[in-house]
Amino acid sequence: MGSAGQLMDTEVTVGVLALQGAFNEHIQLLRAAAQILAGKNGVQRTWTFKEVRTEAELKSCDALIIPGGESTAISLVAQRCNMLEPLRDFVKVSRKPTWGTCAGLILLAEAANQTKKGGQELIGGLDVRVKRNHFGRQIESFEANLDLPFLQEAESDLSQNKPFRAIFIRAPIVEKLLPHVAGAQHEEAKLDGTIIAPSRAIDQTVAKAVDLADVEIMCSLPGRTTAVNMKTKDNLDAEAGDIVAVRQANVFGTSFHPELTGDPRIHIWWLEQVAKAVDQRRGA
Amino acid sequence: MATELPTRATNGEGAAPDTAGEQNFTVKTGLARMLKGGVIMDVVDAKQARIAEEAGAVAVMALERVPADIRAEGGVARMSDPKMIKEIMNTVTIPVMAKARIGHFVECQILEAIGIDYIDESEVLTPADHAHHVEKHSFKSPFVCGCRNLGEALRRISEGAAMIRTKGEAGTGDVIEAVRHMRTLNAEIAHARNMSDAELRVLAKDIQAPYDLLKETAKLGRLPVVNFAAGGIATPADAALMMQLGCDGVFVGSGIFKSGDAAKRAKAIVQAVTHFNDPKVLAEVSEDLGEAMVGLNCSSMDEKDKMQGRGW
Repeated sequence: MGSAGQLMDTEVTVGVLALQGAFNEHIQLLRAAAQILAGKNGVQRTWTFKEVRTEAELKSCDALIIPGGESTAISLVAQRCNMLEPLRDFVKVSRKPTWGTCAGLILLAEAANQTKKGGQELIGGLDVRVKRNHFGRQIESFEANLDLPFLQEAESDLSQNKPFRAIFIRAPIVEKLLPHVAGAQHEEAKLDGTIIAPSRAIDQTVAKAVDLADVEIMCSLPGRTTAVNMKTKDNLDAEAGDIVAVRQANVFGTSFHPELTGDPRIHIWWLEQVAKAVDQRRGA
Repeated sequence: MATELPTRATNGEGAAPDTAGEQNFTVKTGLARMLKGGVIMDVVDAKQARIAEEAGAVAVMALERVPADIRAEGGVARMSDPKMIKEIMNTVTIPVMAKARIGHFVECQILEAIGIDYIDESEVLTPADHAHHVEKHSFKSPFVCGCRNLGEALRRISEGAAMIRTKGEAGTGDVIEAVRHMRTLNAEIAHARNMSDAELRVLAKDIQAPYDLLKETAKLGRLPVVNFAAGGIATPADAALMMQLGCDGVFVGSGIFKSGDAAKRAKAIVQAVTHFNDPKVLAEVSEDLGEAMVGLNCSSMDEKDKMQGRGW
């Protein structure tokens, strides 16, 4: 019995939301990351990676990636197949580890602007305002080398010195960090063209294990803000630059696409974070 | 198809060019990857573009006449008025694509100048060159091109297409040609998979495709870029059929706005592409959609009336 119980505890299921977009690319990178983790001396896990399209599939997951795609399409499809509330439960009530890339970051924001006419549904979870298509249209899409200091947190040696080649496709940025408020970001909703996510209170049984602290800036892109016009610039946090990666209480977001590279370092780091969060929850 | 598109985009030139150059192929194919599992809809004005966006389209194709009308009206079909395309670009926040005539590189330059997100060098318009397709690598805007078979697909990728679509027979509402082209691709790739290098060289010559791209395709068991289905898709079941045959997403042209209830049909096709493997969902979304587009039976058409033969 004892050994069976132990076996259970090493099993971690990570879902990738597969309503639309580059979900398969994330699964490939997760598999590559798990393979590298298996070769390390750290804590061993039995990872399962699966595509998530239904509430039942989501319920079986310990952690979730919301991939790149078209955020309006993902949001509308989620709404029509009754996935929005289960997703809000997963991210905001249960506060299970979730990572959003590009469109995923938009969906995980508590506030967003430059959305389609009439706005779109957000899941929320990160106290930030995200600006869609910040850099412009596809011809403004680009690649850039980023230094990602958080990779040093990883237990695995991730050859941190090498910059991370980040791909930005019609990418959003985090325009502003918002104070953590009880309830929804109603102040944001008063701004022109800004939409907010509905509030969902954290489950008190998990609240002890999760620190709902302020949003942490994980990476900023230097030198691009000058490209946008002055009016837009005023809306940006003065010191922040172009924030392209943030984290807050188990929820992580990047405006670029690590899943379009062959570089699994961020996936390795994130899986380590997932393992820790899962252990904490299971009381290991 | 159980095969996957590897995360490192290549176009037959070995590893992806790791430069920050604006014409970067990774960035071009990257947008196509973001469109996967989605529906791209033909629209002729801003109002239709909004309906498509609200239905959950991942992108819209802006054109003056849908293929069914081009077919009915005849004459020379050209690139749409940039003003009309810009209106659509200003109305929706999803990517906007537009069509240029085969070989008409100046129409492509114009589309790039207005900042279009994807250029479709399309057989639906009247070709502008009897022999040459556009050299696509030098453009900043990415290109999608049609194909009927593996050789055609690989020639287009070699010219710089960052995305492929099977041609089907546009403007008919008859899915048979889209199925034919997807099955042909699948069969040719399956055949190539079991070949030695020497045999691949002979095949490359026979289908007039670059050897390196053919070899990569054989290794992957699929095209090395995103591949959508197009041409004749009119119902949620048609869309799911194409997805189950292994394409990455679908274009719906005349099928939506030539039907009875465009908004409802558009939504249903979007749901069908997400849940293409779930017949229960497909049954639900297929209910009560009103009239489908009337359609044209491909088997009773004259060869000269078919658009798929344009391009080489």
